[in-house]
Amino acid sequence: MITALRKEFLLQWRTRAQAVAVFVFGATALLLFSFAIGPNSAALRQHAAGFLWLGLLLSSTLTLSETFHAEMENHALEGLLLLPVSPRALYYGKAVANAIQLIALGIALVPVMVVLYDAGTTRLPTLLLIIVLGSAGISAPGTLYSAMTSQARAKQTLLPLLLFPLIVPVLLASVKSTSLVILGDPMSQATSWLLLLLAFNGIYWSLCGLLFDRVVED
Amino acid sequence: MVPNSQVSRLDRVLLAGAVITGLTAMFLGVYMDAYLHEGISIGGAGTALIAATLGMASSVLFLLMGDGFRKVPLGLIAVAAVCLISGSYFGLFVAPPEHFMGDVQRIMYVHVPTAWNGLLALTFAFVAAVVFLFTNDFKWDARMEAAVEVGILLAFLLCCQGAIWAKPTWGVWWDWDPRLTTTAVLLFAFAGILALRRFVDDPVKRAVWSSVATIISYVDVPIVYFSVRWWNSLHQVQSSPSTVSSQFYLPLRLNAFGVLFLMTGFMMLRARVAALRLAAEVAPPPEELAGELA
Amino acid sequence: MSGGYITGGWGFVWAAYGWTALVLTGYAISLFVRLRKVR
Repeated sequence: MITALRKEFLLQWRTRAQAVAVFVFGATALLLFSFAIGPNSAALRQHAAGFLWLGLLLSSTLTLSETFHAEMENHALEGLLLLPVSPRALYYGKAVANAIQLIALGIALVPVMVVLYDAGTTRLPTLLLIIVLGSAGISAPGTLYSAMTSQARAKQTLLPLLLFPLIVPVLLASVKSTSLVILGDPMSQATSWLLLLLAFNGIYWSLCGLLFDRVVED
Repeated sequence: MVPNSQVSRLDRVLLAGAVITGLTAMFLGVYMDAYLHEGISIGGAGTALIAATLGMASSVLFLLMGDGFRKVPLGLIAVAAVCLISGSYFGLFVAPPEHFMGDVQRIMYVHVPTAWNGLLALTFAFVAAVVFLFTNDFKWDARMEAAVEVGILLAFLLCCQGAIWAKPTWGVWWDWDPRLTTTAVLLFAFAGILALRRFVDDPVKRAVWSSVATIISYVDVPIVYFSVRWWNSLHQVQSSPSTVSSQFYLPLRLNAFGVLFLMTGFMMLRARVAALRLAAEVAPPPEELAGELA
Repeated sequence: MSGGYITGGWGFVWAAYGWTALVLTGYAISLFVRLRKVR
């Protein structure tokens, strides 16, 4: 599986210009959200967490849809894979790579959020943990669905259509916990949300890995 | 792949079993518990619970039948119509208005049965998906497609009824009640699965992928429910619309069986449509065309 | 709880029952149409 992971990183590194483009997309989204609310600093600060995660979620569709691009280009997904690895290893390699991409994007968008919405926090380790768990939660089912939709018609529409309802718990938990970290958490509720994220990740990283074999078999 | 139009021995057994369990369920659930108010308690389990289980068993037995008895789904729908009409009659005209909600409470007599059966339909879809992945038998793919479609039909109705209930009660069309919000998320998730099926041309891939998606989406249901409940807990002061505090259970029971058998009949017919469509899809070209190609 | 007694509201009750009946009947009809078409 390490080989699969290493291959993914190589692929990602070669296409790093794309990562910059995705970041710009995410930052633009955050800007647009502020136009939706208006120049009301208090309201913006209150909803900053929601904007961050919506921006991250929308950007994730761009990242995820590219996951199997290389395999599709070489018709490698049909029966054969670029490397002689088991489908499961391929899945985890890609899912981890996607998660890392999303984490990087999330971290990059935090300063944008701080500046645009005056939504800073000193609890950076917690924020990082939320970003890690939330991104992982999006990546696990997202990679699985990406494998399906990259072979179907109307792939651009299908991926978000399938993914977004599924990761509602991730969105809720990430937004709520980020919001608590930014605005204050008198009753220490953030821990329960983090546990929810952990549970979601536990379930979906195992379930999707299990089912991936069937998705790519011929 | 051609649907079996002969009545097999198994079909007869299944039909007998389904009818017997169905009738017993209705007798227990409607007559004994609702009409006589005399529940049989067996180790704490009420008559209602036994009736519900028998009802579901009956539904499953009907769904397992092949295409042999063409008229059975029609019969089911007819029985369902009788149940629903009588249940609604009792609910609208005979049941007393409720303590706080007044006459608006009557919506519950149709809302609660829809809720039970919507979740049941999606559970059938999940089971069908799992069975398909294990057996690769396309009969189960057809059943899954039917169950998903009927499931989202009921989920859609649930959201509408919930909104119509909420407006006079809370003054807003949507109050982020955890159960209704989860239903809305479910609606989108499973509608997406139907969309997935439409955009995949290869029947095998279509079946496998939608089964996988159904399993993933169904596992998400409790997670979504709990997360929305926590999310809403700070603001949730009102009771959930699915509590039925009325002491008058007859319309509820009648409608519950009505929707159950209606759902079963719909699923049987819809599975038949799916199976026939698949057969047409993979059928060889007709004779004239083959002659031209030669 | 609202604490009050909701009077009337029959319009909503009829709306709920009527819409449910309409949608279910419409679905039944669509099923028969599809079945006829595919046979």
